[in-house]
Amino acid sequence: MVAPLYTTDSGLLFHAGKILVVTIGLPARGKTHISRALERYLRWMGLKTQVVSLGDYRRKTLGGAQQLPPDYFTLGNKSKETMELRARVSKECEQTIWDYFNKGGQVVIYDANNGTKAARTALAERFDAKGVHVIYLESISDNKDIIEANIRGVKISSPDYRNWDPDLAVKDYYTRIRDHEKYYETVTETDWPFIKIINVGEKIMVNNIQGYVQSRIVFFLMNIHNRYRTIYFARSGQSLIEHSYKADSDLSPAGWEYAEKLKDFVLERRAKNLEARGLDPTDRRLVIWTSTRRRAHHTAHPFLDMHRSPSTSQQHPAPARSLAYSMSAPTFISPDGLPSLHPESDTPLIVGTGKAGGTAKGVTTAGPGQLQVPASADSSPPPRDDVSPSPSMQSTTNKRVPPKVKVVEKPQMAEINPGIWDGLTPDQARKYYAEDWERFVNDPYSFRAPRAESYHDLSIRLEPILIELEREQEDLLIIGHASVIRCLLAYLIGLPASEIPAIEIARGDLLEVVPASYGVHSQAFHFWDGPGRRGEETPHTLGNGGHARDENNFYENYAEDTRGKRKFSEAEGMERPEGLVAKPDSGLLEKPDEEA
Amino acid sequence: MSSPQPSSRIKEHLDRASDLLKDHMQSIATPQIETPNSPDVPPAAFGAGAKGMAMMKRFDESNITSLRNSQAPTPPTKSVVGIGGTVAKPDYSESKIVLAMVGLPARGKSYLSNKLMIYLRWLEYNVKVFNVGQLRRSRARQKAQQSIPSTPSCDAPDGDSNESRSGVQENHSASYFSHDNKNATELREKLAEDSLDMLINWLKNEGGNVGIHDATNSSRRRRANIEERVAQEKGLTLIFLESYCDDPELIAANVALKVSSGDPDYKDMSPEAAREDFLRRIREYQKVYETITEPHLSYLRIKNVGTEVTVQRINGYLSSRIAFYLMNLHVKPRSIFMSRHGESQFNVDGQIGGDSLLSPRGEQYATALPLLVEKNLGERDLTIWTSTLRRTIQTARHLKYPKLTWKSLDELDAGVCDGMTYEEIEKAYPDDFANRDEDKFNYRYRGGESYRDVVVRLEPVIMELERQENILIIGHQAIIRCLYAYFHDLPQADLPYLKIPLHTVIKLTPKAYGCDEERYQLPIAAVDTHRPKPSKGGLEEVPDVAPKTGREYYGEGDAEKSTGSVEATT
Repeated sequence: MVAPLYTTDSGLLFHAGKILVVTIGLPARGKTHISRALERYLRWMGLKTQVVSLGDYRRKTLGGAQQLPPDYFTLGNKSKETMELRARVSKECEQTIWDYFNKGGQVVIYDANNGTKAARTALAERFDAKGVHVIYLESISDNKDIIEANIRGVKISSPDYRNWDPDLAVKDYYTRIRDHEKYYETVTETDWPFIKIINVGEKIMVNNIQGYVQSRIVFFLMNIHNRYRTIYFARSGQSLIEHSYKADSDLSPAGWEYAEKLKDFVLERRAKNLEARGLDPTDRRLVIWTSTRRRAHHTAHPFLDMHRSPSTSQQHPAPARSLAYSMSAPTFISPDGLPSLHPESDTPLIVGTGKAGGTAKGVTTAGPGQLQVPASADSSPPPRDDVSPSPSMQSTTNKRVPPKVKVVEKPQMAEINPGIWDGLTPDQARKYYAEDWERFVNDPYSFRAPRAESYHDLSIRLEPILIELEREQEDLLIIGHASVIRCLLAYLIGLPASEIPAIEIARGDLLEVVPASYGVHSQAFHFWDGPGRRGEETPHTLGNGGHARDENNFYENYAEDTRGKRKFSEAEGMERPEGLVAKPDSGLLEKPDEEA
Repeated sequence: MSSPQPSSRIKEHLDRASDLLKDHMQSIATPQIETPNSPDVPPAAFGAGAKGMAMMKRFDESNITSLRNSQAPTPPTKSVVGIGGTVAKPDYSESKIVLAMVGLPARGKSYLSNKLMIYLRWLEYNVKVFNVGQLRRSRARQKAQQSIPSTPSCDAPDGDSNESRSGVQENHSASYFSHDNKNATELREKLAEDSLDMLINWLKNEGGNVGIHDATNSSRRRRANIEERVAQEKGLTLIFLESYCDDPELIAANVALKVSSGDPDYKDMSPEAAREDFLRRIREYQKVYETITEPHLSYLRIKNVGTEVTVQRINGYLSSRIAFYLMNLHVKPRSIFMSRHGESQFNVDGQIGGDSLLSPRGEQYATALPLLVEKNLGERDLTIWTSTLRRTIQTARHLKYPKLTWKSLDELDAGVCDGMTYEEIEKAYPDDFANRDEDKFNYRYRGGESYRDVVVRLEPVIMELERQENILIIGHQAIIRCLYAYFHDLPQADLPYLKIPLHTVIKLTPKAYGCDEERYQLPIAAVDTHRPKPSKGGLEEVPDVAPKTGREYYGEGDAEKSTGSVEATT
């Protein structure tokens, strides 16, 4: 059998071989920013990618700017010692690139100035001789404002300038740049493939780029922007046959109720965000993406409905409504093939809602869920109010003119396809497909069950969406499936691929992601509790410490059934997203700096 | 949650639970998915096979009943029943792009615009090329026909055009394109303007998405005029696409193509004279040519068909997609081979979808394939792409070339109908089955895909195909149909009915204005899996799929009338 795309013997993907991206540019031209964004993108595609930063390496081995000989950053006339020191640092740094390649890495982005033609040619030739594809990535900026902003925003907070007076640090930095300018040679040689980015994407020049991964890189760079916008993620509502992919069933009564709640909460939350920034929420459009699956685009329906018939939007889905449905609930088909009660009738729900403020199933944490919100977050009312707006709040929401909304259904955003496991319980899958099950459990990211998609397949399928996501300038609400949201979040936050299947995405949480220059800020808001929040409880999960192991649709909801969750704390046997805030140690907040 | 007091909630839930219990008791009477008796047989998934279908029907009925009896406002969407339905085309109405070409004659402008048109049309955008040369020729011809019937002696090819002194016939030789010829220059500008107006009108009023203005647009002044004209309209994006070429070989090849391809401008000329005139025309343009550098414009500049690409101020998803596509094009000679997998067991049994193995005859095909490929390919390199399904991997296994497995090449997902025969589906859901034939392209199987979904999923494959050289795709019927339709620019409605027989290798060789096609059928019998579109009169409708490889010189299907155009060669 042909090796699937993601498990080649070499560990390399897309038959692209090894690639070295050599960044070129004067200090403070955003090389690091671009390098990190690219690293995130390529990692997400499943490529083993690493940024190797000469500046970071130097700081690690030699220390900050004050520990360096004064002529360290000037390119001409250096003392012999400095020359040797510099040579040593760059040689060792180069060694880390080799080490990474030898360990099975596929792409290295070498983040350094590489400003002289001779030096970079020598570097490129060394790697080219060993069969590594070399690409130059030059970042040019002649816009003074961009440069100054970069220095003030990023450079002087680098460890090199710890305890410096900001203005002095800026001055010092400009000196460093000027020294480089004297010797800087822009890329004119066409014997190596190159990409030139001028003024952060205003213009891009591309020379002789060949290869799938390489052209993906260009396409990606063409699409990134830094306009302020917010991306919201929420799961689709519960459907009648939640555990079946093929059934593509309608929303359950709880699902419709959820959809209404979601609409109210998103509009409220978004209005607050925008007003806090002095923006009018009705000025900007809210774009909603769903999949072509019924459970997803039906969940977006209330957003369309609010423009069609204002009366409907004001009619809050009272419990009576869901009751009405439940009275004559359709036969619910449980995964084991036996008709079951409507999930709403399951006892745990009674317990869950019985405690005011909610303790069961993360409702408590929902309140403190706001704990994850950085202190700066906002003066939002106590969480319980968010969860259940008081009548007065409700009416203010509805008095607001609803923003312009556009709903787009995207076929690529369908949930992960469970293949032959569709509709099975984990027990059944284990029983009838023992060998596959074993492999799946060992590597839930890469393993593809028969006829199914692996998370890697899903990631590849989502790639065009990702580019559109980078591209989109408006506020975006993605009403998606857990598996899809997992992939997109992992990309935005920069989680390793292997952790994607373990990210828990609970129904009833709204995830808010704001892209920033060195990563993203994200928060989770809990706004809804009800059937299907984490899959229905069945009697045998009840004895399981209250864990709502999602027996239904386990392939899609695998994370809820694993122990190796990352980014999730366990309090009183309840899992809650930890706010998904990019951590300083995740590499996203590093502020490395430039090196020759 | 919208919440009354907790205590009252508990009561509600208890009431509800008891009601549901009653429901439950009733529903036990109806049979459900059976857990298999044998421990080795997994339970049937929803919808799969006749049993699953029966269960699905019961579920749908129960769902409808429950909604009908519900006192709450009915959810605003139609509930799902049956095996699928027709889906509407996505709304692309917001995309309105004027793409103005820039470049000297024989720089491959028309080639690029044509490729782009095919690609975007395949992605369902409404695209039209407004070729000023075509407009010039057709107006001139009209004029000639209106006046004294005589042979119109047009001699001058592409680029810009005219409409000129009322008279009998126009002289479209190089002098017409000289910028010293004031009269003609005015006429040519008028033509370019008219053509732009037509383009804008089409974008605004006829639902167009991308209008390609195929002209030389060679001076800054001309480009400024276009900019000004487009700025008068709301919501239109203007992008220039310059094709720049300084590789003498490439230019020579383009010139040769031009004068030998039956351009009506050179109809009555010897090839040498035509070549001379054409080169003179290029020189006329060169005198005033200014390459695009205007810093405020959005443009793409492509040098020597893709070796160097400059992208400036490209905003908007569709625009960047266009840029990405153009970056991936190349003109190296190559062929794309496509074949379906060998006959599978499911093919023999008439079942759709599945992941069955090859039938004995399918095995024969797999065994015979290497020789056929070798004979046609010679020493050239080849990469084989298969889907992840076993029948394609099996078919490819004797071939000694590098292989790649694509999830995106998997067969159209028939959702709940996977594994059924057409007869079974027709029996279970006669109405749905008929609906699918009504609009097969837009019909999405429940829990599965439509042809449109497949087109969307194949887009990255197309992109990669454009970049690659010799490729052999071992795929599936629906997949090959979509790819084939792309290369031949065939209309969407015909796509699901294309004949792609088993045990046949299709070889496509991209040429300047289309693909040459050869088919090699191996004499190994196989079932025919083609279902023709049932027509009202009961006669089989076979889509007219004669692919075009010729260039259209007059536009709007005028090609047939023009003596010079090369017709389909297949």
